[in-house]
Amino acid sequence: MSIRARFLLLAATGVLLQFPATAHARDVAALNVSISVFDPGVPDDRSLHRDLQIFPRIRDVEAKFLPFVLRETLVATGEWGAVRVVTEPDDAAEIAISGSIVHSDGERLELRVRAVDATGRLWFDRNFTARLADTDSRSGMTDGGSAYQSLYDGVARALREARQQLDGRELERITEISLLRYAAELAPSAFGQYLVEGEPGEYALRRLPARSDPMLDRIERIRLTEYVITDTVDAKFRDLHEEIASTYALWREYRRKSVEYDRQNARRAEDTRLDAPRGSYDAIRNLYDNYKWDRVTAQERDRLAIAFNNEVGPVVEAMEARIAELESWVDEKYAEWRGLLEELFEVETELNKAAP
Amino acid sequence: MLRGWNIVAVCLVLAACAPAKPVIDEQMMRIDGEMPADLSGSWERDYSRGDDVNQVLRDIYYYLSRTSADRAYTTRPGPVQPSSRDMQSISALARLAELITRPQVLTISQNDHEIAVDRKDDFSLLCAFYDGIAKGTESAYGTEICGWDGDQLVSHLVLPDGLQVTHRFTASADRQQLRVVTTVSSNTARVPVTLSRFYRKFERLPPDFNCIETLSMKRVCSTGEIEF
Repeated sequence: MSIRARFLLLAATGVLLQFPATAHARDVAALNVSISVFDPGVPDDRSLHRDLQIFPRIRDVEAKFLPFVLRETLVATGEWGAVRVVTEPDDAAEIAISGSIVHSDGERLELRVRAVDATGRLWFDRNFTARLADTDSRSGMTDGGSAYQSLYDGVARALREARQQLDGRELERITEISLLRYAAELAPSAFGQYLVEGEPGEYALRRLPARSDPMLDRIERIRLTEYVITDTVDAKFRDLHEEIASTYALWREYRRKSVEYDRQNARRAEDTRLDAPRGSYDAIRNLYDNYKWDRVTAQERDRLAIAFNNEVGPVVEAMEARIAELESWVDEKYAEWRGLLEELFEVETELNKAAP
Repeated sequence: MLRGWNIVAVCLVLAACAPAKPVIDEQMMRIDGEMPADLSGSWERDYSRGDDVNQVLRDIYYYLSRTSADRAYTTRPGPVQPSSRDMQSISALARLAELITRPQVLTISQNDHEIAVDRKDDFSLLCAFYDGIAKGTESAYGTEICGWDGDQLVSHLVLPDGLQVTHRFTASADRQQLRVVTTVSSNTARVPVTLSRFYRKFERLPPDFNCIETLSMKRVCSTGEIEF
């Protein structure tokens, strides 16, 4: 097949021509943000879970659920471009946010949050903590993770402050490098030479491709296609949030009560410590009861965790199955696009060489 | 009959006075593959068998009156009345043992790595094995360890002030009966108190409904598959 015929065939595949490229100017400060599903923070050693009061399946749900609350907070600020929740860290994202759950009970949520821009510059990597205010617990919140709104506001503030440290040129460079990193992943032959990696994970521009480069235009179109899928995945996180928010709020309320019971048990143990003569029935009964109530509280917590899983499990499983389908489609297409682009680049290079 | 009980009591006391051997040693905390015995099921107390706490107290009194250290200070032949302090401590242990062994029904669930003994009005005894090693429970209020002594499940609770509660669960060969031997001891009492309880297996009626616990709707039951 002639070079020209191969080019026409590849161009006619359609996938590359579905979307117009984004030629419009954008506000450089409104960077796009990708928030990946959090690390649930579950130790590998299963024997520690009970001691640490960690319920792995619930942590898995929280790891999917809480990023969406952060997304909503960032969207509400109106200061950012598209904010998406993604299942895997997106290395080429303009701003990539990752996080892990350090502590989560009904009273306190602690997350470690890391934000990095496409150049590999670390914006911040620190812990954010929020306690459930007494007013919230009394009013019986029903909207899920937003009871810890101050935590998400703190992340949004940290993000804004980090951005304020950068000038317009630096922000623009982030979007350029983001696109080129994406391009280099997809078509390394065509775009591999535009970036230089200094320290591991830190990227700088060696040079920019021509604005009229047709390959770059194709890359942008593919990225838009991928964004459509990412937005569909993101919508699944919204569905999950809507479906389980009230159950999660209940779980959190029970966990809060459980923490309160722990405190009551401690108070009771302290109050009865010297109540009765040593060795008397009352004294040994107190010792036994202190342990008993502590265990009853812990076992009730386990029971509620199972009840939560029973209720939420099917919703999460359905969501995971749908996301897996979408991602598998993207992976397939990604491999296809990658092959096509490499071939197109080869064809175009040969055409250019053949041109008089 | 009384003599028989005395022998039991003396044996128990002698066992308690033997050189300190841990109730559960490392070997007992390991399983290689499956659990050594299947104790799962619903068990109903058999009131026709088992110890009477008053009789156990009388046996201990009888034993102490013959072995009491107070004998060394008297030339009078025959039994010496144990001190009231001794008997108060022992009677306190007996009351606690009686309270702990009161449940009428035990529900035991068991899988390859975990066994749980659910008791009404008390916490569940839980014995979980991770990679074949039993994991104890430790809190500010006490420490609970468990293991297998042959085909006996042993649960040992250590509380402050030397208060200790040990349960030994043994199923009969046909798995229709269960014996639970509970020993309560303390630093403040000279001898431990041991009570045996017997249980018969019973089959709960098969449920007409499939039920699961949920958070928002509590218990949800259906004649078919439960869907949300």
